[in-house]
Amino acid sequence: MDTSVKLSHTSALILQTISHGYCYGFDIMDVTGLPSGTVYPALRRLERERLIHSKWESEALAQERPQRKYYRVTRLGNGALVSAVKRYPLLERLAPETKTGGR
Amino acid sequence: MEGRPITLSQCRMILRVASWIVPRRARAEWLREWDAELAFAWQISQTADQSSVGKRLRWRCCGAFLDAAWYRCNREDVRHTSKQWSEMPTFLLLALLGVLLLFAALSGDLPRMRSILLSPPYSDPQRIVTISRTEVISSAEWVVPYSWVDIWRRQEPALEGVAAYSWRPRGVAVMIGGRHANVQSVQVEDGLFQVFRVKPPLGRTFQPSDARGSRICLLLSYETWRRNFAGDADILQKKATIDGQEATIIGVLPARFWFPSSNVGVWRLADEKSLSGEVVGVIARLRPRVSERWAEWSLQRDVSNATGESFWGSSLQVWPVQERIRQPLFSYVLALCITLLMMTLVIWSGRLNLRLPGTGTVAVCRWWSFFAIKSLLLLLILLAAVVEFTPEPYVFPPGKATFIVESVSLWIFSAGCVFMLRWSLSDQQSRCRVCLRRLVLPAHIGRSGCLLLSWVGTELACPEGHGLLHITETDVCWRDPTQWTQLDRSWESLFSEESQSEVFG
Repeated sequence: MDTSVKLSHTSALILQTISHGYCYGFDIMDVTGLPSGTVYPALRRLERERLIHSKWESEALAQERPQRKYYRVTRLGNGALVSAVKRYPLLERLAPETKTGGR
Repeated sequence: MEGRPITLSQCRMILRVASWIVPRRARAEWLREWDAELAFAWQISQTADQSSVGKRLRWRCCGAFLDAAWYRCNREDVRHTSKQWSEMPTFLLLALLGVLLLFAALSGDLPRMRSILLSPPYSDPQRIVTISRTEVISSAEWVVPYSWVDIWRRQEPALEGVAAYSWRPRGVAVMIGGRHANVQSVQVEDGLFQVFRVKPPLGRTFQPSDARGSRICLLLSYETWRRNFAGDADILQKKATIDGQEATIIGVLPARFWFPSSNVGVWRLADEKSLSGEVVGVIARLRPRVSERWAEWSLQRDVSNATGESFWGSSLQVWPVQERIRQPLFSYVLALCITLLMMTLVIWSGRLNLRLPGTGTVAVCRWWSFFAIKSLLLLLILLAAVVEFTPEPYVFPPGKATFIVESVSLWIFSAGCVFMLRWSLSDQQSRCRVCLRRLVLPAHIGRSGCLLLSWVGTELACPEGHGLLHITETDVCWRDPTQWTQLDRSWESLFSEESQSEVFG
C-alpha cells in the first residue's frame, strides 16, 4: 500500500518554495505569485500533515519589529517533495532560485 | 504618501475582523503571525517606495478571511467548534428563532396569527356583528334560514346593513388569462362588502345589478391576485373561468382584507336562488348606539312576528366580529396564565432550585432575561404551530365545528405550554449561573449502596470553570436538592483551553 502523501500542484509548489529558503508566508506569496487566501490555508494543511513545521524567529533577528513565523520542510516533507517533482515535471521550472543568506 | 498610514490601519482592521472567525483558542497566535507579516511588509514597502503596495497589502489582508475560515472549518476543528457552539446560549436562541422563521415561511407569513393579533381590516369593527342562532342548552345550532335575512333586510331598525354568505369555503379552480390557481371560495350576497365598507384598490365590489347578469361575478383577494396572477393590473379585462364556467373579475380586495377565513382567495356573487332554502351565515352592521342585547331582542321579535317562530330553548346571538376573532387568543392567554401560575408555585415552593448564590446583579439580570426570551420564543413557536397548522375553525359564525376545533387547539396549546415551560426550566437549570453555557463533564459521585452514609449523585461543570452543579440521585423531600457551587478565580487555570485540550486531545 502506498503511504506517501500525495500533494496538489499548489501545495507542491509551496513546499518547494520553502525548501528553496523562502520560509515566510508573505515571501512565498511574492515568489510564487499565489494569493494569501491560497498560501496560508496550504501552509496550515502542510503543517498538519507534518510536511513542514513552524517556529517563531528569535527576538535578536526580529530586532524592533514583531517576530515573524517561519516554516521549514521536515524529513517527511522532503520525501513528499521528491515524489511530487516526479509527479509534476514542470514543477522544477516553476521553482524559484534558491535564496541565499537570510534565514 | 499621506494616505499610507490609513492603509496600515485599514489592513489591521481587516485582520482584526477576520480574526473573529478563528476559534478563540488559536486566535491570538493567528493574529500575531498576520500582524508580524504585515508589519514586515509595511517596513519593506517604506524603503522600497512602491506605489501599489497599499493596494496589494489590502488584498493580502482580505485573504486572511479565507485563512481564518480554514481554521474554523477544517475537519479536525469542526467537532470541537460545533460542540462549543451548541453549548452557547446564543445558539439556542438562534435555533428557536430559526424554527419560528421556518414556520413563518411554511405558512406564508403567518396569516392566521396576523388575523388574530392585528386589528381586523374593517371600518368600525365594533359595529360589525355576526348573527347566529344559539341553543340555550347545547350552544351548538348556529344556522339561520335565509328567509330570516330577508325579513331583517326589509324591516329591521337595529341594522344599517345585513348580508348572507355560504359559510363553508370550498376549493375551486380559477383560470384567468391563461394562468391557473386552486383557491378557496365562498359565495356572498352583493351587500356583504357594503357592510364592511371595503374600498378595493382595483375595480369595484359587487352591485345588485351584477346578480341579474348571466355571468358569474368574482372578487379576488389581494394575495391571490399577487401570488397566483402576478399582480396583473389588466386582470379585469382578462377572460376568466371558475370550475370551467365563464366568469367576470369585478375587482381585487385590499391587502389585509379577509372574510370569513384568512385562506379564502375568491368571493363569488350568490344569486337569490343559490342561497334560498339554505342555512347561511349572517353578517350585519349595527346602527350607531345600538347595543348587541337590544339588537338580539329586536331581531328575535321581527322573526317571531313574521314567521311565528317561538325560539323555545334557543335564542339569537349578536356577536361583534372583533370580539369573535380575538376569542381564541383570550383562551390561549388564559391557558398560558394558568400554566405560568403553576410554574411560579413550583419554583416558589422550592421544587425547582433556580437560586443564584454568589453572583452579581448583572449575572442575575442576564440569567432571567435569557429565560424570558427563550420561553417567549418557545411559546411563540407553539402558538404559531397551533394556530397555523391545526385545522382552521370556521370563524364566522360560531358553530359546533368551530367549538370542537377550538377546544382541541386549546387543549393542544395548554399541554404544549406545560411541556415548553417545563423544558425551558430544566434547560435553565442545566446551565452555568454566570455564563449561561450548558454544563458539561457529568461525573458520578459517591456509591449507590451507601445512600444513607454519603452523598450520591452527578456533578456537572461549567466549561469556563465558573461553578459546579450537584444533582442528587434520589429526592428525600419536596424541595429540589440540586445545588450550585460557585468556583473562585483560582480554578480558572484548570478549565483553560490548554488544560482541556491536554485532557481531551
